[in-house]
Amino acid sequence: MKTSKRWLPLTFKIALLTLLLLWTLIPITWMVLSSFKPNDIITAGTPRVFFTPTLEHYTSLFSSGNSLWPYLLNSLFIAGVSTLIAVVLGCMAGFGLSRIRIKGKQHLAFWIISTRMAPIAAVIVPLYLLFRYLYLLDTHAGLIVAYLSFNLPFAIWLMTAFFDDLPLDLEEAAMIDGATKLQAFRYVVLPLMTPGLVTTAILCFIFAWNDYAFAQTFSGPSTQTIPIAAAQLLTQTGIDWGKLLAIGTIVVCPMAIAGLLVKRWLVQGLTLGAVK
Amino acid sequence: MATLQLNNIVKDFGGTQVIKGVDLEVKDREFVVFVGPSGCGKSTLMRMIAGLESATSGDILIDGERINDVGPADRGLAMVFQSYALYPHMTVEDNMGFSLRLAKVPKAERREKVLAAARILQLEELLDRKPRALSGGQRQRVAIGRAIVRNPSIFLFDEPLSNLDAALRVQMRIELARLHEELDATMIYVTHDQIEAMTMADKIVVLQGGVVEQIGSPMALYHHPRNRFVAGFIGSPKMNFLGVEVRGADAEGVDVVLPGGDCRVPVEANGVSSGDTLTLGVRPEHLTLDDQGPLTGNILVIERLGGATTLYLENADSQWTLVADGDVAHRVHDQVRFSFDPACAHLFNGSGEALPHRHRHPLVAIDRKENRAPSA
Repeated sequence: MKTSKRWLPLTFKIALLTLLLLWTLIPITWMVLSSFKPNDIITAGTPRVFFTPTLEHYTSLFSSGNSLWPYLLNSLFIAGVSTLIAVVLGCMAGFGLSRIRIKGKQHLAFWIISTRMAPIAAVIVPLYLLFRYLYLLDTHAGLIVAYLSFNLPFAIWLMTAFFDDLPLDLEEAAMIDGATKLQAFRYVVLPLMTPGLVTTAILCFIFAWNDYAFAQTFSGPSTQTIPIAAAQLLTQTGIDWGKLLAIGTIVVCPMAIAGLLVKRWLVQGLTLGAVK
Repeated sequence: MATLQLNNIVKDFGGTQVIKGVDLEVKDREFVVFVGPSGCGKSTLMRMIAGLESATSGDILIDGERINDVGPADRGLAMVFQSYALYPHMTVEDNMGFSLRLAKVPKAERREKVLAAARILQLEELLDRKPRALSGGQRQRVAIGRAIVRNPSIFLFDEPLSNLDAALRVQMRIELARLHEELDATMIYVTHDQIEAMTMADKIVVLQGGVVEQIGSPMALYHHPRNRFVAGFIGSPKMNFLGVEVRGADAEGVDVVLPGGDCRVPVEANGVSSGDTLTLGVRPEHLTLDDQGPLTGNILVIERLGGATTLYLENADSQWTLVADGDVAHRVHDQVRFSFDPACAHLFNGSGEALPHRHRHPLVAIDRKENRAPSA
């Protein structure tokens, strides 16, 4: 009786997950595989499964006149710094928002996350004008600020949720053990926040790393990021499929690995055993 | 070694008074238990003593010194939380030694003190484990160990046993009592469990709605409750109450009317006169099945506990709970008669205040130490 009741939804779940998995994995698999194929096979009418892999697209990406290195470094620097700032400020603001007793706290929290809800297209022109006045166009700082404007509210909101989950008893126990508020934060709260911090950092980094619209609008010759480099391969004379797929693989792989790491942290649930 | 004094403590949470002027004196080495129904303010009161909440008004004094404005870190107290609040990322040893680490005690000395506390609580084997690898009872011990290591002037316990199963709770209760003997420290303990209160306390503070209803030794609360609330709260099953009319009152006691005849309760009359209505209170264990008894009831439910049997009775205008022998042979719907010793009965006036008994019960003044063998 019990098994037959559960049997149907389970099959349904498996079918749904399989569909979702195919939907997600097929394009990525095609991209990664094709980036190792010689040019003539990539565009073959029938996709070839067996072929001699080649690194020619990757080597040409980094060796030709227009090397990918500056783009890669720009992306790493801009995404890295904006993530670092978002996580540090988000952690402090989230702690405050979670712990301080003030009237209308939920309204304040909602206002903060609501600034994340604006579509990028809505802010891009005002930001462009602002950046022009502030001489931030074609600077690393400009892009870092642009990403922060979306990542900071998100980080605050996410960190608040993580802090809300951390039992207050632990900080109080630390304070009775003789810790100041800062020491309680440093020795007890922060170590337990590692999953929250890592999750927040990776999600913020992904946003900045993947962004095309801001980078296209605010960057100049010296500050272009990887998505811009990829777009430049779509020219009027044709599309360099090999290089394009290689860039795509370079963009996706670190994020895919990071995503797996977030999962590990999320599942771990470090506070298990803290209470009760 | 410390005394604690609370003078007219008030706590106001956004316009709602949760503590309404509490006065209390805790002597050195005393074991004081705060007990009361949920929401009575007992935990809030303890958190104010710990410094986790500020008092809206009133004074908190430790050893005669006002500490209202001293932070929790500097009050020299230790607290065991209901949730234990062990630091999940630290080993048992680091958990217990955390206060010493903050106080910059050298590592060797720290270890020595942790080991000493671990020995008392039989935790030596577990020092390298993380809290998640411990059972509930072990976590409880570590939390107590963390408090001992701090060598506090006063121990605070906030419902420390409520997350343990019944058997473990009894065991920890005895261990805590022995620990109190061994450490000989001042302890304040919050619970809603009256058995914990009765068995461990030198002094029980009964709270309700932010007000102290009565302070006294366990036996004083049991035999001489000051009002109807304390009478009903202390003792299990609950005391029976019955509205009665006064027939007369003199220096020997108060005569009240019962369905099967009058009864003289030996309490001070305190201005009560013939015709007044009072509430009679009799504990279930003081009622006895008695074929000549003045009260009758129809049995509704029988709870057999083996050693004792609880009968739930009903008659035309009242309900009674009666604790009888384990081998009572009655059946449901039997009509029984019962009586009580008037010396064990209580009378409460219209505002719920008890009329004081003319004789104090001999066990009221018993010292806690008389109930426990000294530890070796």
